[in-house]
Amino acid sequence: MARAPTAVPKTLSRWLPLALLTLAALWLRTRDLAARPMHADEANQAVKAGELLESGRYAFDPRDHHGPVLYYAVLPVAWCRGQRTLASLDELTVRLVPALAGAASVFLLGLLAAPLGRWPSLAAAAFLAASPPAVYFSRYFVQETLLTAFALASFLCARQWWSTGRTRWAVAAGACLGLMQATKASAPVFALAALAALLAARPRPDAPNARRPGRDGLVGAAAALAVAALFYSSFGARLAGIRDALGTYGEIAARLGGGDTGHEKPWWYFLRLFAWQRSGGLVFEEAGFAALALAGLGVALAGKNPLLRWAAAYTGLVLLALSATPYKTPWHAIHLVPGLALLAAGAVAALSRTGAGRLAGAAATLGVLGLLVFQADRVARAYASDARNPYAYVHSSPDVLKFRAMADAALGRSPGGPVRVISEEYWPLPWYFRGLDHVGYWTRPPADCDGALIVASAGLADEVRPRLHGAYAESYLGLRPGFVCVVFTPRP
Amino acid sequence: MKHAPMLRLFAALLTVASVAARAEDLVPLKIDLPKPLFVGTPRPIKVSNLEPQQAAASRAPLLVPVGTVLLSLNKPVTSSDSMPVIGELNFVTDGEKSGVEGTYVELGPGVQWVQIDLGAPARLAAVVVWHFHAEARVYHAVVAQVSNDPTFKTGVETIFNNDDTNSDGLGKGADYAYVETYKGRVIDAKGATARYVRLYSNGNTSDELNHYTEVEVYGRPVN
Repeated sequence: MARAPTAVPKTLSRWLPLALLTLAALWLRTRDLAARPMHADEANQAVKAGELLESGRYAFDPRDHHGPVLYYAVLPVAWCRGQRTLASLDELTVRLVPALAGAASVFLLGLLAAPLGRWPSLAAAAFLAASPPAVYFSRYFVQETLLTAFALASFLCARQWWSTGRTRWAVAAGACLGLMQATKASAPVFALAALAALLAARPRPDAPNARRPGRDGLVGAAAALAVAALFYSSFGARLAGIRDALGTYGEIAARLGGGDTGHEKPWWYFLRLFAWQRSGGLVFEEAGFAALALAGLGVALAGKNPLLRWAAAYTGLVLLALSATPYKTPWHAIHLVPGLALLAAGAVAALSRTGAGRLAGAAATLGVLGLLVFQADRVARAYASDARNPYAYVHSSPDVLKFRAMADAALGRSPGGPVRVISEEYWPLPWYFRGLDHVGYWTRPPADCDGALIVASAGLADEVRPRLHGAYAESYLGLRPGFVCVVFTPRP
Repeated sequence: MKHAPMLRLFAALLTVASVAARAEDLVPLKIDLPKPLFVGTPRPIKVSNLEPQQAAASRAPLLVPVGTVLLSLNKPVTSSDSMPVIGELNFVTDGEKSGVEGTYVELGPGVQWVQIDLGAPARLAAVVVWHFHAEARVYHAVVAQVSNDPTFKTGVETIFNNDDTNSDGLGKGADYAYVETYKGRVIDAKGATARYVRLYSNGNTSDELNHYTEVEVYGRPVN
């Protein structure tokens, strides 16, 4: 009878701090979520998700798109918000998917870091919660945050299986692995890095605590394959999707082998993202966090903590793989954050054991967290689409928010349209023009260019102009920095 | 011939019926439009998508009266944004117009202005403005005004206005929008007499911010 009153507070004190951290992470990831203009990649994927929402049909495209999970994950959020069509889908709905996955990652990392101790595990979760790339790309409708969340879930389940030997954990780990694969084709990189890092970790016990580990491994692999196949086959509606899922590696190899993708960057690109950089008078830095993680690496190498050794090896291998590939985009940086957060938390734990004690550990944690929150707010809100922001990669200009109002006004004057977009590049405009009839897209000027509204890239405007009949007013709007469009509006 | 009115009425009815029949035959024009395509994450742009601007490339020199001098060099500058995001307000009149980092001032988003105090009224010939010109971009709603009233409440003369939607709230303008280049924009001040010059803008095609690398005011002091 005496235990009951203490059991609840014990559970509360165990879970409440991590739950509050997760809520804080969710707040950072959802504040003004719809304000930033849609990036071209976000817009394209949102249109694809909207088509799935509206028609119920999905076909995996191995050439230009990643796995199906992101699109399917939009459905429950859209249904909860009463959205059933592409036209009704909005930025908040699609971005809630990575935001929820990002917050879940914080919770999962808190659990994964538990062997470091109570406060260091919370510090690890807090570092991930406030990390600028983690916050930025949790507000960004691309696959990376989901991939990170499923990876963390998979690692956590695998560790549970290793220590308890229960088959259900092997199945859960496999299912999460399948979700990783169905999110993005790069999933094997992270799974293999995690497995290879086990060699460095020297886990305790040194073998899985399972009676039949081989059978459990096979069951886990079957679960992974089944989950991945389910998504790639559009839940059985299109079995060719499974073949296409394998074919995507050929597409990737051909694209990367082709050389100039336009996204080649030096090997130290990711290191610089986590250090310090100045662009156009603005400074973006995460040096304090990087220094703490580096100290954690020293602790991992000098000590025998299996989790820290695993985190060091895993992060090192992922960094090696990402840096060795010439094709680099900033959203890949998010895959380094959980490992760095574990290492930084390891440094905090080590600091707490020194003469300076917990106070020094707490001061280091709070100091680094303060800087991270400040930087996260700058990259995710103040400079969310600014070309100087290292995470706002080839981002749409705020001007793109003006196109829809112009199209609505034009179609109000001339209901038959058409609205013509004549430009070498035009995303994210199809997202902003969703639900409108009589909108067309050309990469070269057609013979007849007249319409209710004509958006032409400045590079094609001189070819469009002589093909217009009647008087048109001209104005400029930006698609993204350095890419300007001329908007032709018929004069009354 | 007594049936002529009846025949005319019949002919008129026939015409109306014929027109009505033709109108019923009309159907909305259906245009087969291509769908948007996707070719991966857009590449970072290294070269502007803008053609060289013919007008800027072959710009005819503005003719000004003899004795016209640069009046604005190192003259005090005030702004609607007294705490610029980047740079200092004195960059606007410091004579440095290269446009590299450290030579321009960045004002906050939305409608912002800078104002130059020439120290005394002058007969103005031209105002030349360089916004941020290291990249192809167009500044929105550029308006240039002159006045002898530092608050710009009285005696205001607008010498340039390309704000076709009145987003600055100063009235619609019919001047053309233009692409920033290293040549800046020359505005004919048409001999207006004023001590203060104020320039407005409302963001640009790359971001919502407002930038000034340099503003030069040319004219003759009024004795």
